[in-house]
Amino acid sequence: MKTRMLAAIFGGLLPMAVTAAEYDISVDRVQIDTGDFVKEGIGYNGASPGPVLRFKEGEEVTINVTNNLDEMTSIHWHGLILPFEQDGVPGISFPGIKPGETFTYQFPIVQAGTYWFHSHSGFQEPNGAYGAIVIEPEGREPFRYDREYVVQLTDKHPHSGDRIMRNLKMSADYYNRQQQTVGDFFAESGEKGFLATLQDRMMWGDMRMMKADIEDVQGFTGLINGKGPEQNWTGLFKPGERIRLRFINSSAMTYFDIRIPGLEMTVVQADGNNVQPVNVDEFRIGVAETYDVIVRIKDEKAYTIFAESMGRSGYARGTLAPKEGMTAEVPELREAPLLTMADMAGHMDHGDMDHGDMSDDDMAGMDHDGMNSDDMNGDEMAGMDHSAMGHGSMGGGDGASMPEDPFYARGSGLVPTASNGGKFLSYADLRAQNPLYEDREPTREIELRLTGNMERYEWSINGVKYEDADPIVLQYGERVRFKFVNETMMTHPMHLHGMWSILDVGEGKWNPLKHVISVAPATTVYMETEVDAPGEWAFHCHLSYHAASGMFRKIVVEGGPDSTVAEGKPSGTQGGES
Amino acid sequence: MNASTFLVLAASMSMSATAFAAGAHSGGHGAGSGEPGQGSDATRTINVDMYDNYYEPESIAVKAGETLRFVVENKGNLVHEFNIGTPSMHEAHQKEMQMMVEHGVIKGDHIDREMMEMDMGDGHSMKHDDPNSVLLEPGESKEIVWTFTEKADIEFACNVPGHYQAGMYGDIEFE
Repeated sequence: MKTRMLAAIFGGLLPMAVTAAEYDISVDRVQIDTGDFVKEGIGYNGASPGPVLRFKEGEEVTINVTNNLDEMTSIHWHGLILPFEQDGVPGISFPGIKPGETFTYQFPIVQAGTYWFHSHSGFQEPNGAYGAIVIEPEGREPFRYDREYVVQLTDKHPHSGDRIMRNLKMSADYYNRQQQTVGDFFAESGEKGFLATLQDRMMWGDMRMMKADIEDVQGFTGLINGKGPEQNWTGLFKPGERIRLRFINSSAMTYFDIRIPGLEMTVVQADGNNVQPVNVDEFRIGVAETYDVIVRIKDEKAYTIFAESMGRSGYARGTLAPKEGMTAEVPELREAPLLTMADMAGHMDHGDMDHGDMSDDDMAGMDHDGMNSDDMNGDEMAGMDHSAMGHGSMGGGDGASMPEDPFYARGSGLVPTASNGGKFLSYADLRAQNPLYEDREPTREIELRLTGNMERYEWSINGVKYEDADPIVLQYGERVRFKFVNETMMTHPMHLHGMWSILDVGEGKWNPLKHVISVAPATTVYMETEVDAPGEWAFHCHLSYHAASGMFRKIVVEGGPDSTVAEGKPSGTQGGES
Repeated sequence: MNASTFLVLAASMSMSATAFAAGAHSGGHGAGSGEPGQGSDATRTINVDMYDNYYEPESIAVKAGETLRFVVENKGNLVHEFNIGTPSMHEAHQKEMQMMVEHGVIKGDHIDREMMEMDMGDGHSMKHDDPNSVLLEPGESKEIVWTFTEKADIEFACNVPGHYQAGMYGDIEFE
């Protein structure tokens, strides 16, 4: 297996592979050719995406980062557990890297798995400044596979990040191509009746939201390892082999639903941590998440890796093939989902709008308390959450027959289904393979309401933007339970730096470790964190334009193993960049 | 679990157990995987350790006609199976194991033996007691004596959902 894996590395990734324990990375202006358009952007070692960094658990790495740009830069090692000064967030971990300077990162590698790195300065990451990290474990992998590929996704946009941010601020629906039209209105009136349709539209108008507000930056080209759908990134295999695919979503804004028609995938890792294997037909990867899957291909034919954006406004495509040049059918994009009343329930519940026929009280009970029951499986799961939500008076009936997933509001338009009718991965399926921490009661709970004003494109936590907020102060040694209450109609991938996010799927010690927790509209999701990393850290929504417009916090961990680190440090300025 | 899902499960499990046992004993699936052996015929004892989610060793050499005693120990943190069969037998068995998980008979690190032992009528139960396999909780150890009657495509495998696919299998190599 070893030799074949090496063959795969040298055959497929030679130009990107780095093997020594000391690494040099240059930050450069590059051309990015998506097949649809060519755009100037930012890359590493002359390319976007940058190299695949291959580390080994237990080693100490030294990484010299040289800034060849005419602006400040930084590299954040996404998901890595390291000293906070090495975390790469300007204004929190360090001042940043000036033009022409070389900054040397140095830290021990204390974990294994699939991760990534990206700039944490301005919009350099959406402009192309990202790469992959693969860490080989000290012991053996608890899997068997013959070869492996990194499959790194992004949503490359023809506009620069700065321009997108300006346009969103000017008009939040600037990039929303799927707005419903007058034609839709009459079509829907024919189905539902004029008054019902009018009422529906007025309600959504009041919300300053649209049913199609699932992706607020459309018009991108989905890339796999830097290649657009037509350029067709291809991974080779020999029939009979097992292949490990390391999926990384490095998008600025886009969730992808991923499938390989004709193949079952076995999910073995989420966010770099091994999970008890789950066989699936399709899975959704949130922004900044990673999932490792193993597939086995017995026949000598090509298979398409198809990654549709959650809002179906675009896709990425690659191929697994026995020979270069072989392709398989590329599926059509499925119909775009529409948000339902269920997805705006969180918003309604806390908003100041009065809709006479909607019972706010009925909609208030939308959290997932029931998830703590022992059995999350099958039938028992279906009835246990959201039961307090009254659909009766809402008239819509959207989603009455939709499938259930406890991590979506009941009746949500966003609940994913597998295109072949099979198994779609849910957060509820994730179980740690080998729990890192002892399970224990949290020492306290912190509620974080995810909030926003869509019209002004302002995103915030507890209604307060980053620049106006005090840091969240944690004490070294405590176990904090974070309660995310999503009061917006968008899905937010929340990323805590420096410490693991233990996602509560109701399985106690088996709850999985992640570094990104995706919170769907109108849901409440819990995660717990063992506060074991002194210093100052970033905590934010990983959608680039949400983080930049305020859905961001600084975390200060007071105390430490020797009680000298960060103790009583004043919070100082809030200069962090997303 | 309510009564109706329990009955459905019982019916399907007992059915599959029968079909599976028939395959294992008669070799009616084309190339068979061998048959249960007598301890006194065993020429060697092979220790197989089960981890999360792989075996040590991952390959065992045998001669056609040889009888081996396997001492299987679960050194992992999850429930694992050691099952001797052809790839297609494993594939069929995986569907049953999936159902056992979905209905809570196997839950992560323990097995609900009470539920497995329960008499479903007609002498059927959800017992996982086919002679070609053992299903073990962490820390448990059991023996299988097996005769590899003829050369065939045989793997030992854990059919707990996802484990086989993730790579928890090993090859029986005929010398």
